[in-house]
Amino acid sequence: MNITISHLRKRYGAFAAVDDLSVTIPTGTIFGLLGPNGAGKTTTFKCMLGLAAASGGTVTYDGSPLAPSLFERIVYVPERDVLYDWMRVSEVVEMNRRGFSRFKAERAKELIATFGIDSRKRMRSLSKGMKTAIAVANAFAREADLLILDEPTSGLDPVNQRHVLNLMVNEAARGATVLFSSHQIGQVERAAERIAVLDHGRLALEGSVDDLKADRKIVEAIFPNETYSLNGLTGDPRIGRVDRSGRIVRVVVLDGATDIAHRLEAAGGTGVRVIDLNLEDIFLYAVSPASANADVVEGL
Amino acid sequence: MPVVLTVDSRSGVPIYQQIVEQVKRSTALGVLQAGEQLPTVKQLAVDLTVNPNTVARAYRDLERDGVIETAPGRGSFVRGDGATSSVKAAASDVARRSLEGPVREAKSMGLSREDLHAIVSAVLDRWFPEER
Repeated sequence: MNITISHLRKRYGAFAAVDDLSVTIPTGTIFGLLGPNGAGKTTTFKCMLGLAAASGGTVTYDGSPLAPSLFERIVYVPERDVLYDWMRVSEVVEMNRRGFSRFKAERAKELIATFGIDSRKRMRSLSKGMKTAIAVANAFAREADLLILDEPTSGLDPVNQRHVLNLMVNEAARGATVLFSSHQIGQVERAAERIAVLDHGRLALEGSVDDLKADRKIVEAIFPNETYSLNGLTGDPRIGRVDRSGRIVRVVVLDGATDIAHRLEAAGGTGVRVIDLNLEDIFLYAVSPASANADVVEGL
Repeated sequence: MPVVLTVDSRSGVPIYQQIVEQVKRSTALGVLQAGEQLPTVKQLAVDLTVNPNTVARAYRDLERDGVIETAPGRGSFVRGDGATSSVKAAASDVARRSLEGPVREAKSMGLSREDLHAIVSAVLDRWFPEER
């Protein structure tokens, strides 16, 4: 299922929780939504699903707005569990079987067993991680075309976290679209094909993880003294930011690192290095330029 | 499938590129032989816990580079000639890419072309002693 979010806005009084968000999520993609706490990730999910009324903008699914006929094809796992405490695990599965025609109860039971959970237990006796696992197992048994998973690995141990990521890969391999949020950038980096970074409700960055890594680099150079000119390099659109610390300059390059390196050399820089960035670095530069800068200066 | 591929998702090197280079290396070392079948996109995606589109992208690059061929409905196979002709090119690619950074840095630290030639010669002498 292809999703197009266009100029989505959600205001709570004067506070803009989601501010003019436009993103396209192609069919069969695993799409990671990243952002600091309060960046608007959960609000975006709620607006997409009609659980919160958007203040503006549109969301379409294969070109059509949300309609009851789509409910069977979309599954949402909220961050906070909403499962009935007094139910047994097996009863939660049964409730899903009755509610959704495409639901595969045997698949849900099998997944719950692989998480090592006893189906006779009552929900209230389970840990937070186990409740997450139950919600996720039921979601993956829905045969949905779109899965929206808010922190689907929270509270899980590393083995079960990997298990959930593998299930997401499986869903994408059969053509489903998976949209998930996570604070664990390593997981997003591994499983997501594309990411969007939200910051204060605004889209700070969007793209393919592999392309972002291939393009974004830091180029570092050392100049003979503190009064050097970068020959107008700071105005170059391929440059995201320039950090100067005495004779050392570090340039965050959005594209064309090799060319920027040559130009720094031409400007008199020595010891020119091109440094790879992982997704965590890319994320930090996108959401908090100031603190990322502080880290860089301390690192020197 | 005898080839064990691994990806370092924390690395700054794109995952599809890591897969491409490892398959080329396995082919060069004879771990993957002509005619051998690669795992399906879905299988490799699950094995590595990376999304299927990234694996598909790596397979497209490998096909473009003449290392594998894909028969619709049957899967992807190491090409008969892929195991020999493209391997040297692949190894050259990896070597060139690995040398790029150190050469740039050495140059920018003031070493001349001759200085670098001397270093490379010394390294070559160590690894190809019979050809000295």
